[in-house]
Parts: sequence; C-alpha cells; structure tokens
Amino acid sequence: MTITRDNIWVVIPAFNEGQVIADVVAGVVALGYRVVLVDDGSTDETGDFAAAAGADVVRHPINLGQGAGLQTGIAYALARGADAIVTFDADGQHRASEIALLIETLERENADFVLGSRFKGAAVNLPPRRRLLLKAATVFTRLTTGLDVSDAHNGFRALSRRGAQAITLRQNRMAHASEILHEIAQSGLRYVEAPVTIEYSAYSLAKGQKISDSIVIMVDLFARRLHR
Amino acid sequence: MIAQLLLTALLMAILLYSWIAYRKSPAVALLSFLASLAGLYLVWLPNHASTLAHWIGIGRGVDLVLYVWVGISLILLLNLHLKLRAQMEVITQLARAIALANALPSRPGQEPPRPQSGD
Repeated sequence: MTITRDNIWVVIPAFNEGQVIADVVAGVVALGYRVVLVDDGSTDETGDFAAAAGADVVRHPINLGQGAGLQTGIAYALARGADAIVTFDADGQHRASEIALLIETLERENADFVLGSRFKGAAVNLPPRRRLLLKAATVFTRLTTGLDVSDAHNGFRALSRRGAQAITLRQNRMAHASEILHEIAQSGLRYVEAPVTIEYSAYSLAKGQKISDSIVIMVDLFARRLHR
Repeated sequence: MIAQLLLTALLMAILLYSWIAYRKSPAVALLSFLASLAGLYLVWLPNHASTLAHWIGIGRGVDLVLYVWVGISLILLLNLHLKLRAQMEVITQLARAIALANALPSRPGQEPPRPQSGD
C-alpha cells in the first residue's frame, strides 16, 4: 500500500506552547501533511495559533497530560481514515523534514511502528546530564519490555494504521513513553528504529523532563501493574 | 475484652472489604485479607503475639499488633490511590469524547468524527 501525504496525520499534543506552536505547525503543514493539534487545556492561545497555521484542533476541556493528548490525537486521526500517523513534539525539537524518512522506513520495512532514535541520528545541544538520564531510561525499558531500542523516550515516531489501532495509552502523563513501548511489545507487530535529529533549545530544555520526573514515571508504571 | 471485640469488629470489616475489593484489585485484596487475618489471630491470642513479637525482635505483643494495623492502613491507602487513578481514566475518556465531538477541522465542511467506543 502506498501512503499518500494527504493521508498522513501528524499528531502534536501541546500545552501552553503559544510561543512556538505556529511555526511548528506551519512547518509540517507546508510539507503537505495533515496536522491534528491536541490542545491539552492550554491557558494561552496555543489552539488558536495552531488553527491559524492550518491544523485541525482538538481541545481537551481540562489539562490531562501528554499521553492523553497523544491518545486523543491518534483517535481523531484514525476516525479521519489516516493511513499513517506520526507523533511530533510541540516544542520545536523535531524536524518536519524528517517525517518523510519515518514514513519511507514504515513502507520499506513493512513495519507498523518506526521509532525515532536520536542516538542513531543526532542530538543537538543535548546536555550531558540529560544524555545520562535518557540512557538509563533506555536500559530500563530494554529490560522491562525486551524491545531492542536505542532511545526509549523519543516522541518522534510513525505508526501504521494497524499499529495505531493496536495501542491504547492509559498513562496520561510522562509514563506514556514507556507505556507505548510496552504496548508495541505486546502487540507483536513489527517495529524498527530510524535515525532522527532532536534539537535542544533553551526553550525546549526548560519545558523538558527533569531527573525527578523519572521517579514519578516509575511510580506510574508500577501503579498500572497493580490495577486492571 | 472490650478492646478485643472492638478490634475484631474493625478487622472483620476489613475482611469484608477485601472480599468486595477482590474483583477490581486482587493483589490489594489478598494483602489486606492476609493482614487482617493475622490481626485477628493476634488480638485473640495476645500471648502468641508476645512470643511472636519477641521472636522477630519487637518488645511487646501489643506493639506487633499495632504494626499490623499500620500495615493494613498503608495497604488501604494504596488501594485508594489506585481507585483515584481509575477515576482519572474515566475523566480522561469523558474529556476525550468532549474534545473529539467539538473538534475544529482545518478544511471547512468536514464534520468532526464520531469518537470510537472504547477510545
């Protein structure tokens, strides 16, 4: 099956990203992809800016977290008949030009999930402490999921329609990145990694995760196992 | 004797609770079931409590019973936390349904899609 750009939906969850969102959305729309911006209860004009830049906008009435935003965006794109879905960060860390590479890998490898890896590609301005944290998270994920991945917390991914239908994110907050890998492992569908560039800026670093967040993520993942 | 009856009533209530909670979170139910059984045993056989307490290095039997009680409380707290999480999931589904029903398409004339059941 050939995937046409018009049927590739790029899901961007965003919370108070008014400063950068117009540029991020415009950059993706300019390449001919459909964009669904999930405004996660922002108190600024994130949703309005994104709509003006050409995105479909879905607004959570309350702030639920990035994982919930992704799941909402995926549900929207599937309902719109998406052939492929790309998850993309709102803070300008990802390059829209690399979406084509992910989709091409999806088709060429006949995979259902293509996971972006900054360690196979490039991580521009990645602080050493953050690198260490990401490496630790990757080791943890490899041990708990058995997936052979080099970058566990990368929000830049492509999913086939079948892949997107196979996963359901229940972790509303940051633990969704690990959860999505668990779901991929459980689905038994084919996944491959593709090199991507993640570009850190002062803006994205200030918004990004801290070491203390990793403890919250562990608690979330543990709690999920206790409860049906 | 009064204290024993009172504690028995409380522990029986927890036994009942664990039975009810079993379907939703079996791990928590099983833990609280075992803990309250242990509590009942020690309330009615305090001598055993003292022996057991000495054996595991606690001064008095009554302290051991107290610790069991604290243990049960913590388990119940954990279950409460899990219930809050479950409630958050329901709220999330509700918020998602509202968001999808009110979606703003970028291309005019396209109706917002109906949320799929289970999403």
